[in-house]
Amino acid sequence: MKKLLLTTALVGFAAGAAQADDVPLGIILGFTGPLESITPAMAQAAEMAIAEVNESGNFSLGTVTSVRGDDGCIDSGMAVATAERLVTSDRVLGIVGADCSGVTGAILQNVARPNGVVMVSPSATSPALSTAEDDGLFFRTAPSDARQGQVVSDILVDRGVESIAISYTNNDYGAGLADSIQAAFTAAGGTVTMVASHEDGKADYSAEVGALAAAGGDVLVVAGYVDQGGRGIIRSALDLGAFDTFELVDGMIGDSLLEAMGDEIQGSYGQLPGADNPGTETFQGLAEAAGFDGTSAFAPESYDAAALIMLAMAAAGSTASADYKDHVMDVANAPGEPIYPGELGRALEIIAAGGDVDYVGASAVELIGPGESAGNYRELEIRGDAFETVRFR
Amino acid sequence: MTLRHASYFLLMAVLLVLVGVLQSWSVAMGLLNMCLISAILALGVNIQWGYAGLFSVGTMGFVALGGLAVVLTSMPPVHEAWSAGGLGVLGGLAIGVLAIIAAVQVHRRMAKGWARLAVQAVVVIGGFFLYRAVLDPAVDAIEGTNTAVAGYLGGAGMPVILSWVVGGLLAAGAAWVIGKVSLGLRSDYLAIATLGISETIVAIMKNEDWLSRGVRNVNGLPRPVPYEVNLQNNPDFVAWAQSFGFDAVEGSSIFVKACYAVIFVVVLALIMWLSERAWNSPWGRMMRAIRDNETAAKAMGKDVKKRHLQVFILGSAVCGIAGAMLVTLDGLLTPATYQPLRFTFLIWVMVIVGGSGNNWGAVLGGFLIWFLWIEVEPIGIWAITNLTAAMPEDSGLRAHLLDSAAHVRLLTMGIILLLVLRFAPRGLIPER
Amino acid sequence: MDFLNALVLLGNFVLIPAISYGSQLALGALGITLIYGILRFSHFAHGDVMAFGTMAVILVTWWLQGMGVSIDPLPTALLALPVGIAVAAGLLLGTDRTIYRFYRKVKAPPIVVVMASLGVMFVVNGLVRFIIGPDDQNFADGARFLFTVRDFKEATGLDEGLGLRWSQLITIVVTLAVMSGLFWFLNRTRTGKSMRAFSDNEDLALLSGINPERVVAVTWLIVAVLVTVAGTLYGLDKSFKPFTYFQLLLPMFAAAILGGMGNPLGAVAGAYIIALSEVGVTYAFRKFFQYLLPESMEPSGLMQLLSTDYKFAVSFVLLVFVLLFRPTGLFKGQSI
Repeated sequence: MKKLLLTTALVGFAAGAAQADDVPLGIILGFTGPLESITPAMAQAAEMAIAEVNESGNFSLGTVTSVRGDDGCIDSGMAVATAERLVTSDRVLGIVGADCSGVTGAILQNVARPNGVVMVSPSATSPALSTAEDDGLFFRTAPSDARQGQVVSDILVDRGVESIAISYTNNDYGAGLADSIQAAFTAAGGTVTMVASHEDGKADYSAEVGALAAAGGDVLVVAGYVDQGGRGIIRSALDLGAFDTFELVDGMIGDSLLEAMGDEIQGSYGQLPGADNPGTETFQGLAEAAGFDGTSAFAPESYDAAALIMLAMAAAGSTASADYKDHVMDVANAPGEPIYPGELGRALEIIAAGGDVDYVGASAVELIGPGESAGNYRELEIRGDAFETVRFR
Repeated sequence: MTLRHASYFLLMAVLLVLVGVLQSWSVAMGLLNMCLISAILALGVNIQWGYAGLFSVGTMGFVALGGLAVVLTSMPPVHEAWSAGGLGVLGGLAIGVLAIIAAVQVHRRMAKGWARLAVQAVVVIGGFFLYRAVLDPAVDAIEGTNTAVAGYLGGAGMPVILSWVVGGLLAAGAAWVIGKVSLGLRSDYLAIATLGISETIVAIMKNEDWLSRGVRNVNGLPRPVPYEVNLQNNPDFVAWAQSFGFDAVEGSSIFVKACYAVIFVVVLALIMWLSERAWNSPWGRMMRAIRDNETAAKAMGKDVKKRHLQVFILGSAVCGIAGAMLVTLDGLLTPATYQPLRFTFLIWVMVIVGGSGNNWGAVLGGFLIWFLWIEVEPIGIWAITNLTAAMPEDSGLRAHLLDSAAHVRLLTMGIILLLVLRFAPRGLIPER
Repeated sequence: MDFLNALVLLGNFVLIPAISYGSQLALGALGITLIYGILRFSHFAHGDVMAFGTMAVILVTWWLQGMGVSIDPLPTALLALPVGIAVAAGLLLGTDRTIYRFYRKVKAPPIVVVMASLGVMFVVNGLVRFIIGPDDQNFADGARFLFTVRDFKEATGLDEGLGLRWSQLITIVVTLAVMSGLFWFLNRTRTGKSMRAFSDNEDLALLSGINPERVVAVTWLIVAVLVTVAGTLYGLDKSFKPFTYFQLLLPMFAAAILGGMGNPLGAVAGAYIIALSEVGVTYAFRKFFQYLLPESMEPSGLMQLLSTDYKFAVSFVLLVFVLLFRPTGLFKGQSI
């Protein structure tokens, strides 16, 4: 009986394994943890790109499948274990992910590099990743936070803000972003009265806000997560009457913020990666048809990350990371025919015919230097019950 | 060790092999490495609890210090930061230490009374402000240097294996200070005090960026074993791996993990051998005597407080070594991952389940509980999927249960602990 | 005028937050100290039992809200409190029956019981996450502010403002009511007196015919009231998240030990001391002194003693100091 059970288990296991002409891609995002409210849309966007490529019938290397994995966003031990399983057991040939910068670095060093697998992160924005050892395997469709710091400073200066206080979430993302905002704003002639951290997951932030209020400032810049301490800081600042206007970084843009206190923070502003790009609208239409919210943070970047991997595979004529890693920059940048969302089939045709493509995609992809997005942002302002796009930067 | 106890270890081996066959060998080897480290951690706690009956729940702090030691020992020094504020930091720290020593001396030498209290207050408060005045600008200078990749003082640039010893020493030093302060307390007070102190240690590591980059993490720590990429590019290795039927990537991954496993086994064996020697020595008998009847031991002229301090330091040092090994295995230091449930209470469950007061029991507990900690989640998902198979596909309850499968872990650990405490209070391999 | 401004500033940023936080801690610490006094062990599952009781309150609140019940401007959760207390009492009495009673019978050393409470902590922790999930839950409704900072400024004409939320007012009022009820019970009723006798001298109490199981059961019932009320107030005032409640264990224990384990009055005092020093030590006093001092002496720095990162460490430093110099706590607690 035992033998029978074991055999069934083994057969079941083997059935789950990849078939020869399958091209499995890993989608490693924080389905639990501080970004859990935006990751479902990110994963669906990536899977939408995969479905589009399969349906076009122009991808000659096999059928692309996806395997989801949870990195917990801030739990590097869990992230490495997940990636390890996807790469060694599910044999994924490329990774869309990870989402948070810390775990992205951990997966890159402990799994992607040792196993030689390409990673394209849609949302890891830490400047430290620009200089990380990556053997040419790591790319990101999100810009580095060094760029966001500059954008925040520009927005503040344009709005005539002279002094700010910064509250950041106490991890590598928050600390890195706070550094770059402080540097950029000071260079532009503004005053930073205080840079203080907050721990996520605490119930009470009155002490943090008390210190920030004592330091003063026209605007409080909140560099945190919308479902975590960032929201607590804003709540507390409103309750104590410490600040009225907030500048919100990309991690803070989310509908849950509007639901919780939309009418109290009218006129606050922030920014998200994005460009004045016809592709963005096309993507949102496609997303709506596929049944998810295309305006959700980092969903366009996720679509682009998956698309880039598959186009690079096609351009290299191989699904091996070592072969296609050198083609990622080529398909992403000019020269070539510009490619927008929904045109992946056409792009594959052009590549098959020996032509050149310039992938623009949903987020105006333009990879620079160490394989990261050049960084276009849209400035948002809270008006009524929505984030409205004010302009592009 | 009886036949029955040996069979427990055999069962453990079978479980790991089963993971290798059913999931992948790479996963199984990863699990084995973590089991080995858990076993060392459990040994450390067993020295404190099993030998001497000290209820210290500060394990997490010593593990974290061990991790810190890896950065301080093995990373190359950042010269830019040293010239920016190295002296200032050292000076500030020296002032802090001197102020504390001065306060203790005042306490010893002056007669009790308001005058002593006043002088002490002046020394402590004055020292604190002087310390901040010297330290703060230096810290700002250091943290201003190229924060994206550095912004800290770096380490000593020495071989990473050495950091395991340093980790043990660092933890021992901290344990000496903590023990001096809190070992006089009653058992539950000691628990709360150590719990608080371990949280404080982690908070310092998270917020003192000049020390180890705080929450920015330190990536790319040196390794005592070869890198997979280099192995894959080495034709001799590739040929060798293929002779076992592995391709280059999988072979290199397993080979590296095996190297770690060999080193870890050596460390574990060494600590185990020393622990067993200590247990069977007159010193060990004396510790047990103190544990079982403190008053009698005191009457026999044993210095209970001193012995407690000794055993507290030893146990903490072992935890520090394990912490350093853990960070070396991960290749990065992330202070945010240190959580009391995972690094203190889980270790306690290992010791209680394995058998407190028995080194073999602690090792078995380390293996078994870590294995369950990792594998209970997939088993839980499997169980829930099957139990709810009858429910409709879109049932809200079913979706909720599947979403919550991860929390089965905590539940299982609690139930195991309660059952063992009630029905086998001496653990799987009881004290002889 | 400047003096008033300084006072209002301090009130808004230090006193009111500290007092409401201290009240919530006080209720939790009272529970810990009672268990310690009667059952003689440190109850590590306290924070998680608190989360469990609050979870029951939240579920009932949602149900009531769904039925359209409301007592505006007061939060609906107050109506759900009795159910939450009953659930928490059920859990506590159940764990006592299945787990702690066994160790009482065999006269196990306290440390073993503490271990068992660790096990209960794991289980309850898992149960709460299993039922309601690990995320933030919002269950506060009713009016938010009694008066806001802006209202205050307009009414008084001062530069600084003071806001008071309903949740803070409710916290303070309910805490006062529960505490006076408890002290009345302990000092004036027969059962309360027998509890104190049991805590002071177990053997003597047994000799005079006090039924220990009854004393224990009553203790758990009181603890159920205390933790559920504390947890609900905390959740209303801030937010409900299981992990936060687990972390509350540390300041609650610090408060109980600071005041003297087993001494209810001490626990209350300890809680307010901890809350005040946590907020006070990390507050930046620059603006405060700007109002009070003449311009020439105005401080240039933030006047912050300790960065807010180390907020929670304050309670431990206090704790260690007290334990070193007065091991029985500020008010004389018992030590067995």
